[in-house]
Amino acid sequence: MKRTISVLVENHFGVLARVSGLFSARGYNIDSLCVGETEIPSISRMTVVVRGDDSVIQQIMKQLNKLVDTIKVEDLTEVDFIERELVLIKVSVNGDRRREVIEIASIFRAKVVDVSPSSMVVEVTGSEGKVEACINMLRPLGIQELVRTGEIAIARSAK
Amino acid sequence: MTTKKKPRHPLAGEMMSGADMIIQVFADEGVETIFGYNGGQVLPTYDALFRYNENKKTQQQLHLVVPANEQGAGFMASGYARATGKVGVFLCTSGPGATNCVTPIRDAMADSIPIVLVTGQVPRHCIGTDAFQEAPVFNIMSATTKHVFLVSDETKIEATVRTAFAIARSGRPGPVVVDVPKDVQNFVGPYQGEGLLELKGYDIRQKIALESRISEHEAKTFFQMLAKSHRPLLYAGGGIINANAAKELRAFSAHFNIPVVTTLMGIGSVDTTHELSLRMLGMHGTAYANYAVEDCDFLIAVGARFDDRVAGKVATFAPNAKIAHIDIDAAEIGKVRQPDWAFVGDARAALQDLMDAGATFKRDFSKWVKLVNKYKKEHPLDYEHNSQLLQPQEVLEELNKITRGDAIVCTGVGQHQMWAAQYFDFHQPRSLITSGSMGTMGFGLPASIGAQIGRPDKTVIDVDGDGSLRMNIGEMDTAVAYGVPIKLLLLNNRGDGMVLQWQRLYFGKRFSGTEKDHRQKDFVKAAQADGFQFARCIDDRRQLPKALKEFVDFEGPAFLEVRIDRDASVYPMVGPGMGYQEMITGPYIKSRVDIQPEVHDIDPEDTI
Repeated sequence: MKRTISVLVENHFGVLARVSGLFSARGYNIDSLCVGETEIPSISRMTVVVRGDDSVIQQIMKQLNKLVDTIKVEDLTEVDFIERELVLIKVSVNGDRRREVIEIASIFRAKVVDVSPSSMVVEVTGSEGKVEACINMLRPLGIQELVRTGEIAIARSAK
Repeated sequence: MTTKKKPRHPLAGEMMSGADMIIQVFADEGVETIFGYNGGQVLPTYDALFRYNENKKTQQQLHLVVPANEQGAGFMASGYARATGKVGVFLCTSGPGATNCVTPIRDAMADSIPIVLVTGQVPRHCIGTDAFQEAPVFNIMSATTKHVFLVSDETKIEATVRTAFAIARSGRPGPVVVDVPKDVQNFVGPYQGEGLLELKGYDIRQKIALESRISEHEAKTFFQMLAKSHRPLLYAGGGIINANAAKELRAFSAHFNIPVVTTLMGIGSVDTTHELSLRMLGMHGTAYANYAVEDCDFLIAVGARFDDRVAGKVATFAPNAKIAHIDIDAAEIGKVRQPDWAFVGDARAALQDLMDAGATFKRDFSKWVKLVNKYKKEHPLDYEHNSQLLQPQEVLEELNKITRGDAIVCTGVGQHQMWAAQYFDFHQPRSLITSGSMGTMGFGLPASIGAQIGRPDKTVIDVDGDGSLRMNIGEMDTAVAYGVPIKLLLLNNRGDGMVLQWQRLYFGKRFSGTEKDHRQKDFVKAAQADGFQFARCIDDRRQLPKALKEFVDFEGPAFLEVRIDRDASVYPMVGPGMGYQEMITGPYIKSRVDIQPEVHDIDPEDTI
């Protein structure tokens, strides 16, 4: 099962190495790992997407919690949360394909951010499902290059 | 790690170098001995040590012990920490100095031993240039320490070294590495005499763990389980030793009349000669300990972690038992075996809380205690008695008659390690010092030097094998050089006995790489060359008692080689990945089942 784990860590030298090292040393696979500063500059947030059964996820969370640099570990999958990923897709456009790309982009509320005689770059943001759907629609047109940020996530506030 | 209001440090405000600060923090933290090896990038700190000791009386000095190899320094620090419960310290140079420390660091991590390593590093502006004797210490150590610092902000050197001690000894103890670039050692600033780095999450977690006590409700559930049990068993690990909870464990066991099995790391947590002690469980545990595990219906694990040498086959481990699990490390709860009752916190506090809550609890387990004592009587450890050749077990039994459970026994890794765990009596915690989890050959000799320095009042014996001793044999010279009166007992079977045993059992007696007959080493001459005034070799049973007596009674460092039967095996044995039902008790220990399981060629893929 896919899980989105949010980890608050001290924002200093080597923390990313410690966290990614933990995953490789214990043989856990990461789908994606995003890291950036939070509202407090001395704290970073890592959003880790992993797959595994409950016992594996439990172990991952506990092991993350043991790192001296870890401040807080949260399994967002357990709460209501918003996940987003940004993807840049460079699509081949020969002949009248240009219109098709624009149409697909508009359906997904994606943006065309670069155009050249032979290609267009589409920027799409959304949940994993939406992003995957957009990529799948564009794939038959010929994707030259694709860059994904990996997922970031935030818990919804109680209403 | 909250700091209480303390009087101002007498040196507060004094200008000193980063190197001076490192040494001053060592002194403030109560360090008595530093193990280490000087080199290019750590010169300023060694110079600071020299200056610190100048004009001081011997008792106030920081004693320096220089090993033959940095790995030796690490194991000395580890032996010191294991024997005393204090943080062991070692100080080494960059590059090869630091990489030689990787093994003892990983070893300490795996056994939860508090040690601090300070390494010199190339100056900050040279980091990443492939400078002479540069190694990425942060990256290398990162995967294998409790924590690692690279001091990049020179003003934080003092707080960082102090914090390293706090991290090493708090919670589940472990090794901490502080990598200090040479220009940071040379920085000059005011000494504060106090102050730790802020560790937002860690500090809170430590506080919670320290304050965590067993609630009334939790205790009630525990005693409901105990009330339903007919055959409860305590399973004590190294956590008891680390938590200094041996007294509470013994009281708990006696109060409720519950027998105890211990892991290798937990040996000494109860007196092995006590009626309720069933000694060690697991792969080479006593038959009666393993039978008790099979038969128990309530297993109370304290500071133990169901590792593969204990629970090789998790599915059939203690198959009839409900499990209670107490550990300081939340990650150990449910990692291998899901418990029915668990508590995360200090073992000493937990056992005390349970005793308080169960003060009026009464249940008669005497039938069960009688049964396990019957197992003890009917299935004792035993070995070959009809051989001309000296048996390792009889050597240790004979030695135990002299030391009577009061010595500190250190070991290398392999058969001799298991025989030492099986055949010595251990009255006190911290009296068996061994590389349990990592199983590092070469551990014994340097660890015994560290242990002896930490406990000059004790007889410290290193029981070693010829394979293990070779790994750090350079430290024999160190023992003599510093007048450390260790007793080095070499059980020489001219081979890597434990691996030979596995090859006999599982690899069709194909002794690949494990026989040492072609090696010419004369260990006695080697010991003499290193300055051992007592260096003997015996292979005759009649010489044994006298030789051992003189060996133990010798005032300085002593070396005794005993040539033993190379075909001696360690029994009982629960094969790798197997359950206790499949335990082989061997030719000399009576099994409670008539048919011993066949030893068959098992898939080497499965043998860990």
